[in-house]
Amino acid sequence: MKLRELFTANVVSLDLESETKDGLLKELISLLQLDEKSEAILFKTLKRRENLGSTGIGKGIAIPHCRSLVVNRLRLAYGRKPAGVDFKAIDGQPVYNFFLIVAPPLEVSNQYLPVLGKIAQFAKDPVVPERLQEIESADAFLALLEEKAP
Amino acid sequence: MHPQLMLLLELQDLRAQHRELEEGAGLDIEAGTFNIDVERAAAQLQEKIAELEEGLSPPMRSRYERVMQSLGRVVVPVINGVCYGCFVSIATARAGEQDPNQALTSCEHCGRFIYILP
Repeated sequence: MKLRELFTANVVSLDLESETKDGLLKELISLLQLDEKSEAILFKTLKRRENLGSTGIGKGIAIPHCRSLVVNRLRLAYGRKPAGVDFKAIDGQPVYNFFLIVAPPLEVSNQYLPVLGKIAQFAKDPVVPERLQEIESADAFLALLEEKAP
Repeated sequence: MHPQLMLLLELQDLRAQHRELEEGAGLDIEAGTFNIDVERAAAQLQEKIAELEEGLSPPMRSRYERVMQSLGRVVVPVINGVCYGCFVSIATARAGEQDPNQALTSCEHCGRFIYILP
């Protein structure tokens, strides 16, 4: 499964507004367009995961992720905060790019962990952080996925 | 949504997170990519699970424990009318109901609590 096939333009936001970690998580969750109660549960689950250790893997990238019953299939979203935010990342640097991954506890296709691994691999490509800063549209983001995560 | 159902969903999500740390690819990614101290994280999650379980009403708690012991997962989604615990079609539609998860209900076949996904 190619990463490009798991994203659509409506789950991409290039101008996240929140200044805090909690606010950013909520903004990312809102991209999935769940109902209010589901959003609240998902936020708690993601927060609890963050409390175990930040999902900020360095180089300005974070991959908040969890399994949750509130989704019926693997859901992904991408958000960019051009000014960056303190996400308690491993390298202590601000985070600019956020990849949200949520999967149901049981998936028929078992994609969650491979996709998590693929996104981590994509993020570790030395040119990706810079390229992500340069993109100007959701389509450009999708094209970058196509190019760097074939 | 029924408050006890909300609590059950949170518990189930935490248990899924805990399972992810136990073995295999999940453990490898959490420890390797995210630098998680797996033992500490698992203990932390277990503590949170115990804390949330305290919030279940006594009859709910005893049923929760009974279902978990016999069936593993206590609450399962219902998608397109199918219980994802036993994969049997069940009747879930109730006329005029805005939130189908307002009531706490179980699958008539397997007995697990159900969460009706839109």
